[in-house]
Amino acid sequence: MSQYKIIFTGPVGAGKTTAISSISDAPPVKTDAAASDMTKNRKSSTTVAMDYGVMNLEGGEKIHLYGTPGQERFDFMWDILTNGGIGLVLLLDNTRADPFQDMRFFLEAFDKFIANTAVAIGVTQMDVSSKPSITEYHQQLQTLGLKPPVFSVDAREHNDVSLLVQSLLYSLDPGLVGE
Amino acid sequence: MKRQGLVSIKVALYGMDPRSHKTMELYLKGPCRGIAEVVPEADAEIDIIDADFATAGEILQTRRQQTPERPILLLSLEFLKIENTYFVQKPVNAEQLTAVLSKIVSSKKPKQLIEPEQPVTTLGVSPAAIQDAIPQENTDTANPSPKATKSRKTFANNEGGYTAFLGTLSDIDFSDPEQLQRASFDAKSHLLGYVLSAFKVACHQGKTQQLNSIWKPILIFPDTRQIWLDADDKQLRVFAGIEQNHTFAGKISLLAVDAAISKIGLAADKFQDIDVFIWKLTIWTSKGRFPASINLQQAVYLKHWPNFTRLLLTPDAMRIAALLLKDPRTPLQLANLLNIKPQYVFAFISACNSLDILGQCQRSADFMVVPEVPKPSKKQNLFSKILNKLRGD
Repeated sequence: MSQYKIIFTGPVGAGKTTAISSISDAPPVKTDAAASDMTKNRKSSTTVAMDYGVMNLEGGEKIHLYGTPGQERFDFMWDILTNGGIGLVLLLDNTRADPFQDMRFFLEAFDKFIANTAVAIGVTQMDVSSKPSITEYHQQLQTLGLKPPVFSVDAREHNDVSLLVQSLLYSLDPGLVGE
Repeated sequence: MKRQGLVSIKVALYGMDPRSHKTMELYLKGPCRGIAEVVPEADAEIDIIDADFATAGEILQTRRQQTPERPILLLSLEFLKIENTYFVQKPVNAEQLTAVLSKIVSSKKPKQLIEPEQPVTTLGVSPAAIQDAIPQENTDTANPSPKATKSRKTFANNEGGYTAFLGTLSDIDFSDPEQLQRASFDAKSHLLGYVLSAFKVACHQGKTQQLNSIWKPILIFPDTRQIWLDADDKQLRVFAGIEQNHTFAGKISLLAVDAAISKIGLAADKFQDIDVFIWKLTIWTSKGRFPASINLQQAVYLKHWPNFTRLLLTPDAMRIAALLLKDPRTPLQLANLLNIKPQYVFAFISACNSLDILGQCQRSADFMVVPEVPKPSKKQNLFSKILNKLRGD
């Protein structure tokens, strides 16, 4: 049986681990370790390998949910991770110094994968920092020639993460119909 | 005088002074041949309300809250069509009253066929205006239109809870191509138009504005992109659907106010994001119609995805957005390609239009070629399973 996966990526503290937990059927396998570098300014522990969750589908199929490690020094893993992926979920932390720079970085890093599949962007921490606004994200994306879904997301909320992943699926196939 | 072999229907009377109460009690026993007997409200099967009573709206609201499953019969001098209610016009005719009461009883579960709807509120507008605002397909009257009743049932069965979001209109048959072309609404004739205009003024001036009308004041804060309104969504939905007349327009005013002072004493939970507010206000104004400013023959395009995690999600909104972002299309092309009701497309483009994220193609080149139909993904089956999983959780 084929193995399919959805990749969650984004900078440190954007909520990748939490988002995977929100929709995973099994408790996600976390590979967090105590932060010892610049990361410790943002969170006490961080993902040093990758997070893993799974969604069990009817008919026995599974969708694997992989979260990339946030730190850039692990970016050698990203190509391996995306192999066989059906799409990318990019989570951005709106409280970081320059979320647009983060966005551009990850979109560039995954550009080939995105070109072959699709990307959906979730902006977290908007309740803490409402700027930049979702409209401003779209303006930035327009300069890159992209029109992906961009939603405000609370990674702890199943509904938010669910809608974000649904938008990814509809981006891949607008004719898609659920039961 | 009681009809032989028939058990009287237990009814409770509301909005009647003691004399009217007694008269109705005797009327049910006499001319109505005992079809119903007046009982205390706790024991009643049907509530009968004099809709001409001063606080009839409040009574109706209370009854709906306290006994939501109990059928309600309204009596009024004016012809009323209010959702989830039955109606008999005053002066009451025994034959008519008997027929309606019998009909209510013979309907095993009348409420199941009728979507939950907001109560009538005392909004300070005429009963006629309230009547216009209430979706009429879900109304049962002494002389119901068989066609309207049938279509209501079909609609409710097919669309489930989404009907409550869009509202319904009995004066438009969306399956009729000719009527479909005319199924538009003018935002300027509704509260929506005034809110959109006030928001533009607030942004242009950079000052908080207070929009006054015959309803509740609406405060618009351009700096935080918020509005403040002391009303819940049910009330807003009713008022959104009311087509405003000259009386309303004459009482509209817009005042610049000091943001800091105006926020003092305002309930924190009444603040809403302006986009979220305008989106739902538009959907409840549209009720499945398209904006009059949109030409149905020309393609529309979407500037970007709406922020769906924070907006009222209408039926098939994500599919419409995804398809529209691939290529501009006419609203009816969208409905045909996705095999969905035009009302869903109309409600969606109305809301996007209000948020200014929808445009209409003007260049002749845009009409030269019909956009290709997107090919289904080879993984469509898998995607459907994921979708079902996400929605089922």
